[in-house]
Amino acid sequence: MVGVSRAAAPDADPVERYLDQLLLQLRGRAGDVRRILAETEDHLRDAVDAGMAGGLAQAEAQAQALARFGSARTVARRFGQAEHRLDPVDVLGSLVATVAWLGGIGLTAIGVSGLLAEAMGSAWGASFVAGDQSGVTYTTARCADFFEYHAAAHTCAQAAASHHFDEVVQYRVAAGVLGLLVLLAAWLVRSRVRRDLVGTLPDGFIASIGTAVFGLAGVMLLLQGASQAAFRGQGAGQYLSAAIVCVVLAAVFTRSLYRTLVHRSTLAPPPMETAR
Amino acid sequence: MKPEQLKGHLDPLLLAVIAGHPAHGYAIISSLRDQSDGAFDLPEGTVYPALHRLERTGLVRSHWSDGKGRRRRVYELTGAGATALTAARRDWQGFSSGVQAVLGWSA
Repeated sequence: MVGVSRAAAPDADPVERYLDQLLLQLRGRAGDVRRILAETEDHLRDAVDAGMAGGLAQAEAQAQALARFGSARTVARRFGQAEHRLDPVDVLGSLVATVAWLGGIGLTAIGVSGLLAEAMGSAWGASFVAGDQSGVTYTTARCADFFEYHAAAHTCAQAAASHHFDEVVQYRVAAGVLGLLVLLAAWLVRSRVRRDLVGTLPDGFIASIGTAVFGLAGVMLLLQGASQAAFRGQGAGQYLSAAIVCVVLAAVFTRSLYRTLVHRSTLAPPPMETAR
Repeated sequence: MKPEQLKGHLDPLLLAVIAGHPAHGYAIISSLRDQSDGAFDLPEGTVYPALHRLERTGLVRSHWSDGKGRRRRVYELTGAGATALTAARRDWQGFSSGVQAVLGWSA
């Protein structure tokens, strides 16, 4: 998606400020937006030159040129009506790209939570991360399976906890590797097609989804981890490790969303717009 | 004349201006205003979307041209645009003749 990271300086000339406002209003492919901005600037510079040639002071000529051109909102809306075709390929591409980015980030987050679970297990023991409910009984064959891989364990329950702990870490790390591969593939596709595949989506769309999904998941996992710690005595780490990663990701997405919203609200008031 | 009154007529007007000679947006808008003796004094920024639409439908084409140290997007008529302009002129001729005839009788 086309976006900007900074506004023009407050003392920038009115034409540049108008172009910034127009940039914020325009939607569409980057190349189309660049062309519109270039044509608009060309037109406004011509109009200012003509106004000054006609005897106006520069500020008056700029104000007149901008007034004659129309408000950035109106112009962008007309361009939107003229150019925003609901291209099924673009829509599909945007959806696939969004799913790929969010899915890749989610899988990678699971991998990170696996590493965090590994650290928790090393610090507080395997049963903090994973383990069966206290009082559960094991068959002899099942117990033998656990001891085959965890011979150092003193009890079947300890061996079972170590077994489950290994599963938690290994499966999550495997998911993380898959997530990195998905992100790499998404990045390669984006580089290959040289297009912003999520460009048709509204600003902050992915950040909104990320904030909601990871924030909700983080809260639920925290509650589950707390419940696990309070009532079962073991296995809280598998939830807490995932909760920590989710909360961190939710914070990152929230910050991104906040910056998008603040950026838009800072620039949205059009001080020189004179809608006709 | 209010911009709304131009609805449906802006495209052939733009084609007619461009048909004279390839021109960039500012020149096209200035010609439109001058040739109409100021009657078609539109919000200038709303003409560009119309030009882009005409280009997408194949009636005009455009290219960047360097002039006065500034790149300009120059528009020119395509063969399809010329055909469409001819048809639009014919339609307008018939329409205006009919309106004139009716208004003339009423007057």
